[in-house]
Amino acid sequence: MIRVFQCEDTLTGILTGVYDAWDSRLGHEHVRLSTVCDGNLELFCEYVQTEPDTEKAEKVIRTIKRRMGEEAFEMIAYAASYPDDQKADAIYRMIVTGLHLPDGRQITGMLTHPQVRLVFELRRKAWHIAHRYMGFVRFRELENGVLFSEIDGEADVLALIAPHFADRLPLENWAVYDHRRQKAAVHISGKGWMILEDVDKEQLLEPGASAQEAEYEALWKVFHRAIGIQERTNGRLQMSLLPRKFRQFMNEFSCPEGRADRP
Amino acid sequence: MKYRIEQQMDLREKLGILADAAKYDVACTSSGVERKNTGYGVGNCIAPGICHSFSADGRCISLLKILFTNECIFDCKYCINRRSNDVPRASFTPQEVCDLVMGFYRRNYIEGLFLSSGILVSPDATMELLYQTLYKLRREYHFQGYIHVKAIPGADPVLIERTGYLADRMSVNLELPTAEGLRALAPQKQRPKMLAPIRQVYSERQQNRQELALYRHAPKFVPAGQSTQMIIGASGESDWQIMKVAEHMYRKYEMKRVFYSAFLRVNEDRLLPVLPGGPPLLREHRLYQADWLLRFYGFGTEELLSEDRPDFNLLLDPKCDWALRHLEQFPVEVMRADYHTLLRVPGIGYRSAGRIVRARRLGTLDYENLKKMGVVLKRAVYFITCGGKQMYPVKLQEDYILRNLMDGKEKLPAGARDTSGYEQLSLFDDPRFSV
Ligand code: SF4
Repeated sequence: MIRVFQCEDTLTGILTGVYDAWDSRLGHEHVRLSTVCDGNLELFCEYVQTEPDTEKAEKVIRTIKRRMGEEAFEMIAYAASYPDDQKADAIYRMIVTGLHLPDGRQITGMLTHPQVRLVFELRRKAWHIAHRYMGFVRFRELENGVLFSEIDGEADVLALIAPHFADRLPLENWAVYDHRRQKAAVHISGKGWMILEDVDKEQLLEPGASAQEAEYEALWKVFHRAIGIQERTNGRLQMSLLPRKFRQFMNEFSCPEGRADRP
Repeated sequence: MKYRIEQQMDLREKLGILADAAKYDVACTSSGVERKNTGYGVGNCIAPGICHSFSADGRCISLLKILFTNECIFDCKYCINRRSNDVPRASFTPQEVCDLVMGFYRRNYIEGLFLSSGILVSPDATMELLYQTLYKLRREYHFQGYIHVKAIPGADPVLIERTGYLADRMSVNLELPTAEGLRALAPQKQRPKMLAPIRQVYSERQQNRQELALYRHAPKFVPAGQSTQMIIGASGESDWQIMKVAEHMYRKYEMKRVFYSAFLRVNEDRLLPVLPGGPPLLREHRLYQADWLLRFYGFGTEELLSEDRPDFNLLLDPKCDWALRHLEQFPVEVMRADYHTLLRVPGIGYRSAGRIVRARRLGTLDYENLKKMGVVLKRAVYFITCGGKQMYPVKLQEDYILRNLMDGKEKLPAGARDTSGYEQLSLFDDPRFSV
């Protein structure tokens, strides 16, 4: 009999699952972690729900960092943000393997291990999305001074990009809204950031754009157009580097065709 | 009269003109410095840099790249802003540049500022304006994002020094790889004058490093280092001459980057060549690949080219080309070869080489593993064994490999593919290029 720990599809959820699975003392071969719960139950499996628990997750995080290093933790945090049915179990196996190594730090290079490799690949995918959003996020200034922006990524990257913007714009009030998940990273000037669930976007946008907003957007479009070398125009290359899915909220592409070279 | 016209010009028009005039500078990276915000300003820097958009030619937009002014007292033949050209002219004020930088940065349009300039009145007067602009940004606006600024050759070293304490990167474009080229096409620029600020920044960076070793909080001088740019194909130099200059820049002046820019004929001038295929993009691409080989793969120019063989083979990337001429050093056993030997295998990039070295300590590798680690087996297969075995039987024979490599179609960036196209290649910063 295998016990499947079903966890919420968040870092906290998965790490709580790791905690519970370990704590069950059933032996690693008798437990499995899963973030999917599509009612598709397998025979000879017993399913238990785990409730996300920050305290348990924190304990796991501390252990990972201490025994396997920051890099391993970063790898897990990024991988957890990417949609994949196998990731929770892969993270669990990676942690188990890492804790059994004489030097846990080596785990991040252990690419011959299939589950570590999956975590590695998911990390890479999520990192690409997060890193792109660090550049592609477009803040619009609202009348109340708040900087508002919107993203719509395959991976749940809010918590991965928020620290970057918090460091960059410490004195601003800003919000990054995740269209797909209806949640937002919100930053208060001089304080810090947090993730808010079930956010009402319209309410955030209530104040409307600031007086200067339209002018800066226009200036940005002027710049964006002027900086391209006409003789070397290459829409295909531009599209491959900046795929359409990212352009949705970028004002320099905010014309019907989504192309910058059209007025 | 002209002055009045400028007065009436609004910021959008100015920005249009001065961004357009700056677009031929290829350096747009914001890389090389890691800096957290102090908590009371705006901005930080991320070592690998961040792309904020891509322009219609497919180049990364990271910095607000502008000229302070496109007025110029010089008359460099290849330059759109030369004195003798009849183009609309404009100049910013330091305040306007600050407004643009802060407005754009807060909205996350940019990583920072790239500020270049034509020579207004004199090198000193121009440098002074650049300095004032940076001073205002850093001291009044507490801007902590990335700043790349030009050092104007011929300007007072004191001004250059002061500016260097406010900037992250400084650059002087060599433009033409040789003194002869410079004499022909940019008669007012002299080689020694252009090298002077490069040398100054280099030696002050050395000094600064010692100060920083003593006092951790000493102000930093040009922390992201220098870069430069050369135009390719305007004045008849060979690849060997170009790479020699680049190598010299890296070794002697610790240059962080040398950029290559395929010559684009923006002016009608009988001294400028007419290149039938348009800008030599494939050649530019080969130079970038070779540049990676110098910087990350431990190659020297002399290994790749020589006086008798002064140009790269356009049909083959420089690493494959080198490997084919050195078959006696292959095949390489992936489980045993050291890092530096792995680096020289076509199809193995420096990241995959690093991954191989780490992973093989913990287990035995097979070809599937290698593929997952980013090794391009299509190319590497001729040059490696893994656990003593070839992936499939291949001959270690020049013609045979060459034929197969050419069949396998190299993944060229769009635009470099056929030399007649005017398309742009752009992943300057992508190490995958030189795999
Ligand atoms: S000095 Fe610079 S701006 Fe002036 S003509 Fe020469 S290259 Fe152009």
